Amino acid sequence: MSNINTDNKKANTYDVIVIGSGISGGWAAKEFTEKGLKTLVLERGRDVQHIRDYPTTNKYPYEFEHRGEPALAIQKENPIASRCYIFREDAMHFVVKDNEHPYVQEKPFDWIRGYQVGGKSLLWARQTQRWSDFDFEGPARDGFAVDWPIRYKDIAPWYSHVEKFAGISGNKDGLAELPDGEFLPGFPLNAVEDYFKGFVKSKYPNRHVISARCAHLSKPNQIHLDQGRAKCQNRILCQRGCPFGGYFSSNASTLPWAAKTGNLTLRPFSVVESVIYDDKQGKATGVRVIDANTKQEMEFYAKIIFVNAAAINTNLILLNSKSSRFPNGLGNDSGYLGKFVAFHNYSARISAEYDGLKQFGTDGRNPAGGGYIPRFRNVFKQETDFKRGYAAGFSAYRSSNRDTSGVGEKLKNNILNPELGPWRVGSHMMGETIPKESNYVSLNGNKKDNWGIPLLNISVDYDENDRLMKKDYIAEMSQMFDEAGFKNIEVNDKSQAPGLDIHEMGGVRMGNDPKTSILNKWNQVHACPNVFVTDGACMTSTSCQNPSLTYMALTARAVDYAVKSLNRYEV
Amino acid sequence: MVFCDFDPQLMRLNFFRQSFIENSKLGGLNSKESQMERRLFIKQVLIMGGGIAMLPSCMRDSGKSSIALDNLDVSLEQEKLLAEVSETIIPATDTPGAKELNLHLFVLKMLDDLYEKEDQKLFMKGLGDFADSAKDKYSKSFQELAVPQKQEFLLAIEQDKQAPPAIAKFYEIMKGRTIGGYLNSKYVMTNLIKWELVPGRYNGYFPVKAA
Repeated sequence: MSNINTDNKKANTYDVIVIGSGISGGWAAKEFTEKGLKTLVLERGRDVQHIRDYPTTNKYPYEFEHRGEPALAIQKENPIASRCYIFREDAMHFVVKDNEHPYVQEKPFDWIRGYQVGGKSLLWARQTQRWSDFDFEGPARDGFAVDWPIRYKDIAPWYSHVEKFAGISGNKDGLAELPDGEFLPGFPLNAVEDYFKGFVKSKYPNRHVISARCAHLSKPNQIHLDQGRAKCQNRILCQRGCPFGGYFSSNASTLPWAAKTGNLTLRPFSVVESVIYDDKQGKATGVRVIDANTKQEMEFYAKIIFVNAAAINTNLILLNSKSSRFPNGLGNDSGYLGKFVAFHNYSARISAEYDGLKQFGTDGRNPAGGGYIPRFRNVFKQETDFKRGYAAGFSAYRSSNRDTSGVGEKLKNNILNPELGPWRVGSHMMGETIPKESNYVSLNGNKKDNWGIPLLNISVDYDENDRLMKKDYIAEMSQMFDEAGFKNIEVNDKSQAPGLDIHEMGGVRMGNDPKTSILNKWNQVHACPNVFVTDGACMTSTSCQNPSLTYMALTARAVDYAVKSLNRYEV
Repeated sequence: MVFCDFDPQLMRLNFFRQSFIENSKLGGLNSKESQMERRLFIKQVLIMGGGIAMLPSCMRDSGKSSIALDNLDVSLEQEKLLAEVSETIIPATDTPGAKELNLHLFVLKMLDDLYEKEDQKLFMKGLGDFADSAKDKYSKSFQELAVPQKQEFLLAIEQDKQAPPAIAKFYEIMKGRTIGGYLNSKYVMTNLIKWELVPGRYNGYFPVKAA
């Protein structure tokens, strides 16, 4: 018997276990397997193979049963998922349904999830901006959270490393607050976006409208062709999965690359219950998994464990990893695990019309989505009554007026031949929120999910700083629109619950001091050095850039460190 | 309108997306269970492009609508009236009109799957009132009217700010979904206003005739 158990244990032993196959887990898999380590990637959802499992990718609008709108019954069953723009007939099969994976909202929180191989990397909005020291030094300068244990110079080479492989389109804009990267050619702004860019530059020297940097192959390099990916074809149907591999996803890029090394084992339908900590050895030895379908419990073992389950689920797994050494969750000596969760404030947008430049329209589609305005508030010095600031999207399109009045031949003719209308412009805010102890996730003491794992309580809310910042965004952007000659300015500040930004972060934050943080500067659990967290959970603060690029860079950096430590027998 | 993350293109596409989300429970279905099962079976074997399940005449109750509906009870007679209304909205010219493109069936499909019970009831009441009102006015059924009279009758509803709620709702859904179905039809998207699956280009300074 003992032999069988030993064999079984051996068969279930790898060099590394990566929990999660989304944007950061995919990177961990690629880096480890390339460095020759036998890597097990555990994914709680089903397998999604590039191209093969994109069932809607080549469908025309008329091929969808309700032309895209989910049936009313589906919307009613999924009030949370339905609030996300992705939840349409073409991509709703990639979004978690509300009743399959419940959680407890102590305060309203729209938790949007993608439980499948590739996770939300299939669905993300593909915006990729680097952080600068204006971001990493934020908490120390402005007195919140804890100091980041890293600075720009620590991560810059890793930004380059991941950008070259993922393929990031953008222009060298030469901005200190938004460092340039390893760019493929940027997608162009259109006539009105360019006009606004020029206007802002002339009037506000510290404000910039740039072409949004995004993870699309505007002009693939050999490394991208080697991945089997091709030039972005401007379809903008990305959320269905791209048959060209035109945008970066785990499915199109890191996972098949990792598989080619022969060192990858990918196990879908593997719900991680907890990380196993061995008190005698004083380290983590593996993970406990429940098969999503059979509900069979099993264990897998490894020298190194990377937790990349997506920010909130990473918190859940660590909180649920209890041992006599860590009665309150793995690495939770500080008591801060699950706390200081933050997100991005996306709750305001502005739209308007522009009557000029009517000799132009647009043709084709822009995968970058238009312009990006990096944070200009409180960058070089504190200048407002709130902390930190916001970035903003800016885009324009030529509207058309479809006259739908009347009936008959005239109506038919009118709707088939719409007249061009004015340009429509729009912007939305992406505000930094301040991590606070009162914004937390915790294990529910009573309720459990279908796999016997405690449900999560989520208690996250806006605060006064968010409200002041939103007011400032609306005032500043409205003024800039007005000064630029945009008319009929409309503000939409209808609040949306946190979570719908899909930029939830923190709870397992990095920091120098084990008394106030969970992870060190290498994303390594202070008190359990062979466990690393490199997804959104590790974020000490949120700044206002779209965060995925930073997760990728932190992941590649942490893998490099972990492998070097392993070679030095330190972990 | 709510939105998440940064994808202006998608947000724009969804700008007019209606929100039907409410906390109220979905009302019970009005079809009998056996009928439901039969229709489900038929649906599974007979989904056409565009997702409308046509029932062959041998498998449907005589006098019933020719498509599988879960919530609505529509007679063949009513279906024919809807076809005439949709054809009046978008008539055949040198290109197909609403009837040929089955847009009246598309409207029923959308009404059946995307609308609240109250709206469905209002629509069905409006449909009946519409037929009665035409008869009152012209002493003929709507189907029997000449095209100019049909148009006149629809325009009168469209322009009547005081139209009874049921007729107004019927007309609003009928017209809005007929136009939507038309513009999103395979015929229009492949012949008249071509929708490109793979544009492969973007020009932000595309010259157009200044309007």
